[in-house]
Amino acid sequence: MAFTNRLRGFIVIGLLPALIIYLVFVIVPILWSAYYGFFDWKGIGTARFIGLGNYAEALKDPIFWKALKNNLIVVAASILGQLPIALILSLILRKSTLFHRFVRSAVFMPMVVSTVVIGLIWGYIYHPQIGILNVLLEQFGLGSWIRDWLGDPGINMYSVSAPVIWANIGPYLIIFLSAIQNISSDVEEAAKIDGAIKAKWLYLIVIPMIWDTIKVAIVLCISGSLKAFDLIFVMTGGGPAQSTELLATYMYNNTFEIFRYGYGSAVSTLIIIISMILVLGSQLLMRKRGME
Amino acid sequence: MKTIATGSLAEGTAGRTSRALRFRASWLLHLVLLAFSLVTLYPLLWLFISSFKSNQDFFGSPFALPSVWQFENYTRAWEIGGIGSAFLNSVVVSVLSLVLTLFLGTLTAFIVSRLEFRFKGLIMMLFVLGMLIPIHSTLVPLFILMKSLGILDTYASLILPYTAFELPIAVFVVAAYLTSVPKELEEAAMIDGTGYWGIFFRIIVPLAVPAMATVSILGFLRFWNDFAFALVFINDQALKTLPLSLSLFSDGYGTDYSLTMAAMSIAVIPTIIIYLLFQNYIMKGMVAGAVKG
Repeated sequence: MAFTNRLRGFIVIGLLPALIIYLVFVIVPILWSAYYGFFDWKGIGTARFIGLGNYAEALKDPIFWKALKNNLIVVAASILGQLPIALILSLILRKSTLFHRFVRSAVFMPMVVSTVVIGLIWGYIYHPQIGILNVLLEQFGLGSWIRDWLGDPGINMYSVSAPVIWANIGPYLIIFLSAIQNISSDVEEAAKIDGAIKAKWLYLIVIPMIWDTIKVAIVLCISGSLKAFDLIFVMTGGGPAQSTELLATYMYNNTFEIFRYGYGSAVSTLIIIISMILVLGSQLLMRKRGME
Repeated sequence: MKTIATGSLAEGTAGRTSRALRFRASWLLHLVLLAFSLVTLYPLLWLFISSFKSNQDFFGSPFALPSVWQFENYTRAWEIGGIGSAFLNSVVVSVLSLVLTLFLGTLTAFIVSRLEFRFKGLIMMLFVLGMLIPIHSTLVPLFILMKSLGILDTYASLILPYTAFELPIAVFVVAAYLTSVPKELEEAAMIDGTGYWGIFFRIIVPLAVPAMATVSILGFLRFWNDFAFALVFINDQALKTLPLSLSLFSDGYGTDYSLTMAAMSIAVIPTIIIYLLFQNYIMKGMVAGAVKG
């Protein structure tokens, strides 16, 4: 009896600090933001209950939808850019020679660099006058391609997606590599004896065998792109004229630039709901395809 | 090994040409890979090279090496740019967050992976949920919460949320690692009369060191590089961390490019050194985090 009491005491005392910090700073804020979303509140003074007013306003605001569309562009760029490149590299880089390890390290390197620095570097690369991209195009006689990469609303979402892809191939490469290493080499040998050519081998054997890993990677892509805030905030701040606005920059600007805390909270809640829908939706879609 | 074996089975000229073809293809592949790595590394190389240039060099010959290596860019950035104090703030915040994450994460992992109790499943589920939440969606409520707690603009306003958001990964990485450790060790200690805290500090912590190393490196990179929390929770110039001062620095000193480049290099160098030293831990941690997430 004394023994179990000691165990119980240890468990409670041991878990409490972590649970308190975790609940207070991760779980409670989510519930709070859903709650604050029902109020018209400037951060000071009294909050006025307006029911679903903020949520309705966000869903009616064309900029909100623009931000969502921009977020989806980043999601698409990540899934279509990072995953195929990472998958192909992982098939080539399975060996552990010095050269292969060098390539792996190089591809992973941007991951350890602060996104602020990445944003600033790419800001310089894209700079309309002094940017090395335009200087390079000029030198190769492609002067007609020169443009204001971050200022032109027609292309700047694609410009800001490039560093997002560039910086995030590394982790997917590592994840795919470890998944492929788990495929038994017998399978590979059998495929070779069958005369399966490489592309077929990839399509028929590798992809189905690491399908679960690909699913995880897609979830990470979706949730990761919703986090693309830092990079784009540093490069464009969501501008010009909200052409690169993301859900997170939209939320930030509404809350901390024009001090609409209630509205910002509602948008925060919508971001969580949207990301959950995207994650669940992608999993359902893939389950169907996986069963065929 | 495998290719050599299949190659030697093939006979005559046909075998030789196919081997030659394969040799050429592999060379081509190596070249493509090398080019890809260089393209990936180039923006960082360009940053380091530019950080030693004068402003004139920076504009005049953006691709060339510096005509004169301006090492004083670094000392100027450290002093004039206030990068020194930002660097120290980053060290303090990252180290304290790391200590707290490691202690609480390892303790929680030990309890949920080795001891039996009610609500265990619920607690694990809560932590899984944390990994799916987009961090930025908590900025507004966290800001309001910390304002009412009166801890905005203190180290605590960064350390506590950093720890909270890193705990799920810490718990999962350490718990996964502990499953490979035999339970007999603790049972023996228990019979010897060691209490639970004794078992934790004297048996579990030393055993979990490799997993804790993974957690440390992933956590350090995350804390050191964080921008969003610092942007919203820190306003006091004296408390600004590196990424935050850099983002403001580039506005204030916008025309002094060499200074900005040197400041950015100062922010990047520690993480690159840590990465090069501990690559294997980072990669293991990535995989553990992804599979559990």
